[in-house]
Amino acid sequence: MIDHRSWHWSLAILVFVVVCIAGIATGAIRVPVADVLRALLGSGDTSSIAIVRDLRLPRVVLAALIGAGLAMSGAALQGTLRNGLAEPYLLGVSGGAAVGAVVAFAFGISNSGWIALAAFAGAAVAVLLALLVARAAGRGGRGDPRTLLMAGVVIGAFANAVIMVSLANAPPNTIRGALWWMMGSAGDASWQTIGVLALSIVGGGAALIYLARDIDVLALGEEPAAALGVDVDRSARTIYLLSALLAAATVAAAGLVGFVGLIVPHIVRYAGLRRHRPLLFGSALIGATLVVAADLAARTLRPPAELPLGAVTAILGVPFFLAQLRKAA
Amino acid sequence: MPVLRTRILVIAFVALGVACARKDAQTPATSLTDDFGDTIVVGPRPTRIVSLNPATTEIMFAIGAGDRLVGRTHWDLYPAAAAKVPDLGTGIRPNIEAVLGARPQLVLLYASVDNRNAAQRFRAAGVNTLSLKTDRIEHFFRATQLIGLLVGDTARAKLVADSVRKSIESVRAKTSGLPKPTVFWHIWDAPLITIGGGSYMSQLIDIAGGTNIYGDRPDVSPQVSIEDVIKRNPTYIITGPEGADKIKKDPKWAIAPAVKAGRVIVVDTALVGRPAVRLGEAAIALASLIHPKDFTR
Amino acid sequence: MTGPMIHFEDVVVRYPGQKTPALDGASFDVPRGAITAVAGPNGSGKSTLVRALLRRQPLERGRIAIDGNDLSHLTQRELAQRIAVAPQREEAAFPMKVGEYVELGRFPRLGLWESPSAEDEQAVKRAMLRAGVNEFIDRRTDELSGGEWQRVRIARALAQQGNALVLDEPTTFLDMSHEMSLFELLDSLANDGLAVLIVSHQLNLLARFASTIVLLDKGRVAAVGTPTDVMSGPLLESIYAWPLVVTRDPAAGAPALIPLRRRTVS
Repeated sequence: MIDHRSWHWSLAILVFVVVCIAGIATGAIRVPVADVLRALLGSGDTSSIAIVRDLRLPRVVLAALIGAGLAMSGAALQGTLRNGLAEPYLLGVSGGAAVGAVVAFAFGISNSGWIALAAFAGAAVAVLLALLVARAAGRGGRGDPRTLLMAGVVIGAFANAVIMVSLANAPPNTIRGALWWMMGSAGDASWQTIGVLALSIVGGGAALIYLARDIDVLALGEEPAAALGVDVDRSARTIYLLSALLAAATVAAAGLVGFVGLIVPHIVRYAGLRRHRPLLFGSALIGATLVVAADLAARTLRPPAELPLGAVTAILGVPFFLAQLRKAA
Repeated sequence: MPVLRTRILVIAFVALGVACARKDAQTPATSLTDDFGDTIVVGPRPTRIVSLNPATTEIMFAIGAGDRLVGRTHWDLYPAAAAKVPDLGTGIRPNIEAVLGARPQLVLLYASVDNRNAAQRFRAAGVNTLSLKTDRIEHFFRATQLIGLLVGDTARAKLVADSVRKSIESVRAKTSGLPKPTVFWHIWDAPLITIGGGSYMSQLIDIAGGTNIYGDRPDVSPQVSIEDVIKRNPTYIITGPEGADKIKKDPKWAIAPAVKAGRVIVVDTALVGRPAVRLGEAAIALASLIHPKDFTR
Repeated sequence: MTGPMIHFEDVVVRYPGQKTPALDGASFDVPRGAITAVAGPNGSGKSTLVRALLRRQPLERGRIAIDGNDLSHLTQRELAQRIAVAPQREEAAFPMKVGEYVELGRFPRLGLWESPSAEDEQAVKRAMLRAGVNEFIDRRTDELSGGEWQRVRIARALAQQGNALVLDEPTTFLDMSHEMSLFELLDSLANDGLAVLIVSHQLNLLARFASTIVLLDKGRVAAVGTPTDVMSGPLLESIYAWPLVVTRDPAAGAPALIPLRRRTVS
């Protein structure tokens, strides 16, 4: 673990800006960096403006929002659950969202806005079910983290079954569309979806930052947190719901993008941030940078095809788990 | 002298070989090889046939053997009479039990890797199985010929094949002198899928007097990115009604010059859905859309 | 400053699904300026008491008062401002600097958006000094020894600036010298006027440092009083179900419990 300095923040912001500009400038059609800046401001070649504003900018904005949302969700959950392997899709979010989307696909819906809505609804139902199951299974309703995690696994397993049944006899194009959605992509969202996502991320993120001190204390344990004045059950539940909201919003907009919410908080903690207020900000920044870079890679590694975003971020899982293994051994 | 004797022997053997071969060529073929490399013996006229491929189902009806079908896939809906044939599910990884339950004497399969197991299982159960690729136009002609042979109606099969061939060739002739505009065929949106050189649809574009911008790709339905399409700047974009709707509404597609100029062609996907009997009609339809002024139907 | 800091009155706590209550009518006081100890065998309700105090377990009957205020009338924050509890289990999932950890003790007094003020920093410094851990300020919590860690926890509790300090089994993993020095710290804190409540099974140490011992047996208060009153051989033997003898060590000046062998070697 290194000690963080204030210049680290400036560096992180700089890297983020550079990666975003690279994301906007790169693609099948060459747009020189100078033109990028001009196009963003609305001047210069019309086709460059169109490419920058309608093709590249939405992707970069979407990718940044997804990265920020997932990273913050992961950071909040890891602190509250006191577990470094917690991640945003824990409480059945990914399973529920996928069920929502796949069922929509199976009914022949292909409008991305409706799919997003269905995915979000699925995620919401799954999380509520997980909370209910945990409450029923746990002793007297105390939100023991382990019970909650198990409930999330149960819901996730059920969701997988539903997905498989829905896709079993579906026509090939439905399967392809559903699979593509599940592997995650920053390319299919409209500005409307992005707008709704932005509201969710900013709103949810702000609420989490408001609760950041509670997370600091919850990270000590439930009894120590109660001893320090936190209403443990209410705080924890609020944080779970906010984290799930962030995760569900990102899934609705872009499908399943794994490992970001798991890995980024570790990177930020390694960089020396421990209190959750700066940790959440740092996670948002680094998460955004990471996903914009991943989207860039997804677009440029195998032209003219586009790799799924989730596939690129999944590769990150490998070095991460290796590092965790070494730490544990 | 040894060298001369060897030479005479060689000539004798070769002559014998040629005579034998000629003899073989005269006896009619009783077996054929399908696209999985399996050998099928042409047996007595089958009366119970299962077709697990929309293209072969259509061919069956075209050659007048549709009444002998006892099973089809869920998506075989042409011609309309096919609806009466029992639906046996998917054509890729078919339900072996359901198919065998229809007690077929012949099964027509699509020769994709996923179906190798099914082909083996059918053959192990003693059912003649013809596995064919139906991706390109030449596959259609081959399929028609082989199916005709197996169902015992080579004459009708030849008629159908010839009629389609004539249509196609007449379109090709009519468009041969015209300039070939570039075309992008929008199949699916998320992921963005188009047709590559390996597909009959790409061949249709060629016949109809256009150039598929992804004709250089050997696969049947490659995935591409919208930016790459815009970069290749097709003159026309062909799509079905749903795709046209999406393209109209999406600001990303609005960047493409073809969309800006309103050169989005909407085709009836049913017409071009599979490489079968209506290939000729499909070619005509496409040609009149790509070359509206030069081509009157 | 009158009245006990913490007052338990006829407290009954029952875990869901259990027939017998974990605490069955416990009544005692924790006064300022003294060490009150709660002792008893495993399962006698000691930790349940602390959980009830933290409001992690609802009371079936009875009441708990903090400086005269009913527990149910206080918010969790107000509770944390008045009493500082160091529970038995604390999982420091993510290590941090000792200074930051002690600073968490200011949590109940910080406004949501406020950063620690000068007053907060002073309180932290004082707490660390008092607990004897001010040299550790930059060390990481996962690098401390058992004894050092307990002192750091006490520092955090002291940073809360409450009037009571409640510790649940603070010396379980400590060796003799660390145990003694911890108790001496508690003694000095009590002398400063703090109400110290310690839950422990180390009867012999409690006998030397506590003014009052509350002996729990299966959720009931078997005895309350000075160590001499409470530590009677027959009583302890029946509660702990083990042969023992209570002597008085002149050097220690307090009763001492000596467990005996159950079977003689033959």
